[in-house]
Amino acid sequence: MGCSSSLPATNAGGGGLNNVNSGNSDIDSKNFRVKLVLLGDSGVGKSCIVLRFVRGQFDPTSKVTVGASFLSQTLALEDSTTVKFEIWDTAGQERYAALAPLYYRGAGAAIVVYDITSPESFNKAQYWVKELQKHGGPDMIMALVGNKADLHENRSVSSQEAQEYAEKNSMFFIETSAKTADNVNQLFEEIAKRLPRPTSS
Amino acid sequence: MWDCRWTEIERPPNYFCLTQSRDQGGEIAAWIGILLSCSAQHCTSRGSWNCNPTRQPAHTARHLILGCKPTPTGQTDRPTRPHADTTRQSQAAACEVAMESPTSAASRPDFFDFLDRMRRPAAADLFRSIKSFLVSFSFNEPNAEEDGSKVQAFLTKMEDAIRDHPLWANATNQEIDHALEGLAKYIMTKLFDRTFGTSSEDAITDMEISEKIGLLQQFVKPHHLDIPKVRHNEASWLLAVKELQKINSFKAPREKLLCIMSCCQVINNLLLNISMSSDQTLSGADEFLPILIYITIKANPPQLLSNLKFVQLFRRETKLISEVEYYLTNLISAKMFIIDVNARSLSMEESEFQKHMESARLATQISVASPSSSQGLPTYARAHKEETDLAGSRFPFMDSETVSLNPEEVKQLHDLYRQVVTRYTLLSKALRKLSIDEDQLLSSVDDS
Repeated sequence: MGCSSSLPATNAGGGGLNNVNSGNSDIDSKNFRVKLVLLGDSGVGKSCIVLRFVRGQFDPTSKVTVGASFLSQTLALEDSTTVKFEIWDTAGQERYAALAPLYYRGAGAAIVVYDITSPESFNKAQYWVKELQKHGGPDMIMALVGNKADLHENRSVSSQEAQEYAEKNSMFFIETSAKTADNVNQLFEEIAKRLPRPTSS
Repeated sequence: MWDCRWTEIERPPNYFCLTQSRDQGGEIAAWIGILLSCSAQHCTSRGSWNCNPTRQPAHTARHLILGCKPTPTGQTDRPTRPHADTTRQSQAAACEVAMESPTSAASRPDFFDFLDRMRRPAAADLFRSIKSFLVSFSFNEPNAEEDGSKVQAFLTKMEDAIRDHPLWANATNQEIDHALEGLAKYIMTKLFDRTFGTSSEDAITDMEISEKIGLLQQFVKPHHLDIPKVRHNEASWLLAVKELQKINSFKAPREKLLCIMSCCQVINNLLLNISMSSDQTLSGADEFLPILIYITIKANPPQLLSNLKFVQLFRRETKLISEVEYYLTNLISAKMFIIDVNARSLSMEESEFQKHMESARLATQISVASPSSSQGLPTYARAHKEETDLAGSRFPFMDSETVSLNPEEVKQLHDLYRQVVTRYTLLSKALRKLSIDEDQLLSSVDDS
């Protein structure tokens, strides 16, 4: 895969993010759970971003998850709410594209990932955005993510172009590097901030 | 098995005695199978979540998996919450892990504890509710969706009833959860014949899926689904296949779901081991889903659609969330991929795909002709008995020259040829049946 395996495992507490135990699945106005779906071409580093996010903040209480296709991570935000992200990865290969609706049904947020060195993956990302607009929930928070920002010398998708596309589709845009962890936490913090807060407990 | 204890409860036996399940032997065998595969996984996986009823191994596993250091217990407590609450939460978390294994040491005694409580006279009111709930089904025709919502509503109602019941005073969340799992298993076993695979439409789809998989099995290779060579591991795949094939050994939705989860777990363990040995990042869905689809094709699990529907409708809603829901969705999408499979989805030319399907169909017809005979064999054999006796001398034309045969003899020869073919077919059918019986015998010996 496209990202390094020897990621330094930074422990809890960094970057203003704290990890909390959300052992029960009750949802109230302070602690809530959100299903987040990952879409994008295979090889753009979808799962690397999530692994980086989950590894970066070690949550000692989380249930053992051996696979990397489903991961969960809880974030504590400044307004003392906590968000438990349940991250659903999807297979990015063309032949599995028709199955994606099974995964994004009921998702509160979606991250559409492309590789800044691959224009095809950016085209594919636009396809997913259209799909989500057509079939996703109306309140879904969508983020457009240009990954592999560390490979800027091979860049072939300009950040301005992506930014404009994102704005036009009322998405939030960010470039990340799963390899160096650049902007990975920011991505999830930003999504958490934009999520509608549950009104009833 | 815990459910046998129900019979010991001093109640009118007609409604509280669990119907002796016909496949109990198979069920026990499957439980042993899970136990064995579980311990096997434990050795290879460094923390299969099926086999980690306590939190400590979970830490160790996470430490290995994610390369993070386990922190001492106690640091996990949230300062803002009272201590008792935190204890409850961690028990719930431990339970969440433990509940995934029907055979784990931690979850077993709690079923007995539940049954002990149910045996007390104080539980009579609960019994009455359960009985009248089960009886209420006899007033309506089976309807999977309606029955599903009825069961869900009843379980929700009973959760409150159990929580407020004097028998469960001061019970932990885990104990209450186990009581509910026991209850769910009990009612679903009672309602199984009504709720599982009763729709004839679904039965047809089940058969179509199974037949299609039978064809795909013969030519779909890992590369057709984007499974890279480095991820190939026939031994692990076989284990995953066996987990999935166990699905009909169980009646309770939770246990059926566990077969799916164990299958996915084996695949995840394989991916984990590969990533550790090849020093690569853990792979995500790009690699998981193709393997699951391949495993599903290899396994050809019985009544796939009916099983998936049953789990979706009757598994406790509060348990069909997050990770469990994700992996169930993966099997649902594997099923969908298989139903819709075409040349494009296997990266083949249309003509090549059609050719493969056609030759697979032919091969299936030849091999299917025999096993289906097992019941028809005796009558078929009798019908031909007379004919074979008429043959008279056994090999009349062995010494004749071809040119010396007259038209009458050719006709006779043709008849003999027909008889030979018939006998040969019958014989191979009988042999096949014998070997199947022998296999069953052998496996029952292995299991016991």
